[in-house]
Amino acid sequence: MREMKIKKKLSENILDKFSIDFLRNQVLKNAYGNDDTVIARLDPRILLVWYLFIGLVPWFVNNLWFLIACFLLVLVTTKLARVAGLVLLLFAIGVFTQTGYLLIVSFFFGGNTSTIIPLLILTLKVATCSLASITVFSGLDPDRLSNGLMWYGCPERLSFSISYAYRVLPMLMEEFQNILLSFRMRGNPPAHETFWGKVKYLFYQTKIVMHAFYPLMLNTAKRSRTTVEALEIKGYRYAAVNKNVKKIKLSSMKITYNDLLFLAVSFLWISLSILASKIF
Amino acid sequence: MNIIEIENLTYSYPAAKSPILKNISLQIEKGDFLAVVGNNGCGKSTFCKALNGLIPHFITGDFEGKVTVGGLDTLKSDVGTLACKVGYVYQDFENQIVRPTVLDDASYACLNYAMPDYMERGKEALSLCGLEGREDDYIWQLSGGQTHLLALAGAVSLRPDILILDEPIAQLDPGHADKIYGVLRELNEKQGKTIIVIEHHTEYIADYCKHVMLMKDGKIAWKLPTNEALCRVEELQSCNIFPPQITTAAYRMKQNGCLKDQPLPTTIEEGSTAFQALRYSGFKPLKNISKSCAESAVQFRDVSLSYRSVKGDNRIVFDHLDLEIRKGEKIALIGSNGAGKSTLMKLMVGLLKPETGDIFLEGENIRNKKTENLSRKISLVYQNPEEMFIKDSIKADISYAMQVRRMENFQERTDRLLDRFHLTELKDRDGRLLSGGQMRRASLAIGIALNPGILLLDEPTANLDIATRKEIMRTLTDIKDITETVMIATHDMQLVCEWAERILVLYQGKVVADGTRDDIFGNSSIVETVGIRPPEIFSMGQVLDKKAFCYTVDEFLQSFEEA
Repeated sequence: MREMKIKKKLSENILDKFSIDFLRNQVLKNAYGNDDTVIARLDPRILLVWYLFIGLVPWFVNNLWFLIACFLLVLVTTKLARVAGLVLLLFAIGVFTQTGYLLIVSFFFGGNTSTIIPLLILTLKVATCSLASITVFSGLDPDRLSNGLMWYGCPERLSFSISYAYRVLPMLMEEFQNILLSFRMRGNPPAHETFWGKVKYLFYQTKIVMHAFYPLMLNTAKRSRTTVEALEIKGYRYAAVNKNVKKIKLSSMKITYNDLLFLAVSFLWISLSILASKIF
Repeated sequence: MNIIEIENLTYSYPAAKSPILKNISLQIEKGDFLAVVGNNGCGKSTFCKALNGLIPHFITGDFEGKVTVGGLDTLKSDVGTLACKVGYVYQDFENQIVRPTVLDDASYACLNYAMPDYMERGKEALSLCGLEGREDDYIWQLSGGQTHLLALAGAVSLRPDILILDEPIAQLDPGHADKIYGVLRELNEKQGKTIIVIEHHTEYIADYCKHVMLMKDGKIAWKLPTNEALCRVEELQSCNIFPPQITTAAYRMKQNGCLKDQPLPTTIEEGSTAFQALRYSGFKPLKNISKSCAESAVQFRDVSLSYRSVKGDNRIVFDHLDLEIRKGEKIALIGSNGAGKSTLMKLMVGLLKPETGDIFLEGENIRNKKTENLSRKISLVYQNPEEMFIKDSIKADISYAMQVRRMENFQERTDRLLDRFHLTELKDRDGRLLSGGQMRRASLAIGIALNPGILLLDEPTANLDIATRKEIMRTLTDIKDITETVMIATHDMQLVCEWAERILVLYQGKVVADGTRDDIFGNSSIVETVGIRPPEIFSMGQVLDKKAFCYTVDEFLQSFEEA
């Protein structure tokens, strides 16, 4: 009896956790909740170069030592960046569905090194690149990221869009949540005690989510009228054509001792792994 | 010196049949603090947008006449140049904020106009607006009032000579409202800025503004010094603007032959001189409050709830809350922005589940009940009516809940509801496109479609002008036969005093006071800690005699007479 109660509570909790509110919180956490980490304080330009290396090179190398070293490195940086739980979960699911399941299957069904090693290499590559992306795109807050991109010549509109998207996303999700709540209050979903009922309920939910988009779009359109006017007043259009603005924006970035240290440690670690692969 | 000069301005929106601004000519002096008043839809916002060049540069349309702002002809200058002269804060100010952190948003405009000292300007604006020390905060950490101050700082950072604010305090609690006006007064007096506000709250106009301008159907009826303007009681009332309660009271006394040679007072200060000859009659306004021992409608037992926060610990909203609401009660729920009023309501309809503790609806625990099964008993009308419109016409919206429950004759019932709320002619329109008052009525109709015994209303009078507000109040009395128990969360103390029989005060996750209006407003320690502002006429009565508890103009007239 007691056990059942606990079980029930647990399942309720999981469903409860995965609400829009939770998603909104995770998005915010991911974007801005970790601005005091080592990674977040690095110069975005340095981090982008680092990402270019760690994200690309593993694809062209099949040396196990090197790949493991890269993987461990990004594991540490991900830890340092204090990435939100949801993103890590998505990462785990992603890697597993890409190649991980093959690795596990072959491991259990008598695969030998000749099948496991190539699969392990592939899994490591996928995992390393994903974790590197997570470190950079979730460890840096959107503004620093967009400044970094702008320095490398990405158009101003792109970088504004990135930071603005993060600005409106929580608002959109809140609005969406409220509309869904309206449906919940007034709707009449099918009973879902039986299995067939559960299937019907799932269909119903999907339908409601789709229906909720229509009011969401209209409400957003109504809100954005003010935003568009405000952007005009705040000189957004002038900034896009003014070279000075870009210069001022970019001058806020500075390479510090920490950035160099970060690069040096990464470089040393990778060199060691190459050395190790030569020796063993 | 005139900072704004308008000559024969006529403007109509694209594709509109008739002009919204009709042949306006006006001068505004430098350093003025001007309130613009008028009916909903009389062109106040349009007028203000013509001053900062959004009209006609961004919003096109037929523009005739000449507008000169700070020596610049708006037709010949672009929006950017004008933005440095005129700052604008919107009514829906949260949509005006485009950057994630406070300092970033305050300095954003300066950065865009390539001002090298943009950071300093942002910081200076923040300190002028009382947001010093919040520079590195994220915008969602700010309360509603602080967000408004940030929107203001964003405008102030360009160091404009003129600031325009569209209904600055419509969504704020009195504490935040005072703060905003305090900041505006400083900007006006110390920095010499010219300030223009669109404002319904005449009490604030009386306290802070120098001039008042009345707009009627796209024309300017007059512009007068505040005192003189607010004393035109009848004319203001005919435009659905209600003069301060004190002025109205004095005006009615004069009509009754009292206060012969006194000018009409507009503030409490003036009132204490004007009314000094009055004596308290000992009148105690009777309000039928039957201490009900009826059945319990909703009961909270030891309820706790907290929100996840982006950083650090979760924010506790309710900490072991106990509360009982009985059938037939009319309850007002008050407390500052963020005190948990909306959360309390969402808990009652089952949209949120308490972390610990239980909530009982008519004796039944709702923990394991589904929201949709509760909706025949209890219903919530959101603060933001847009979020209740889930269909493409209000008719479909009103009938939705009945239709999916396969109620018989739901169409008839829908028609009856449309009729009751005077929405029949608008039934095929999308709710979002209606005016503020119509939206509010539609959302009420949706809320009572299933005949719930308990109705919860979240800020039903926010953002409404007084006429629409009265209409909503009438509707509330009107639906008495359907809904027994009604709870309203609001900042509108006049509504509270006129309507509520029981008042709950939320403060820091607890009900700190619970009782009649005398219990609440008579308890000065509660009023001070929570920051409640009683209706002005009540404070006036208190100044004249501590024994007087009068909440409406009528009660005031009965309480005081010439000795």
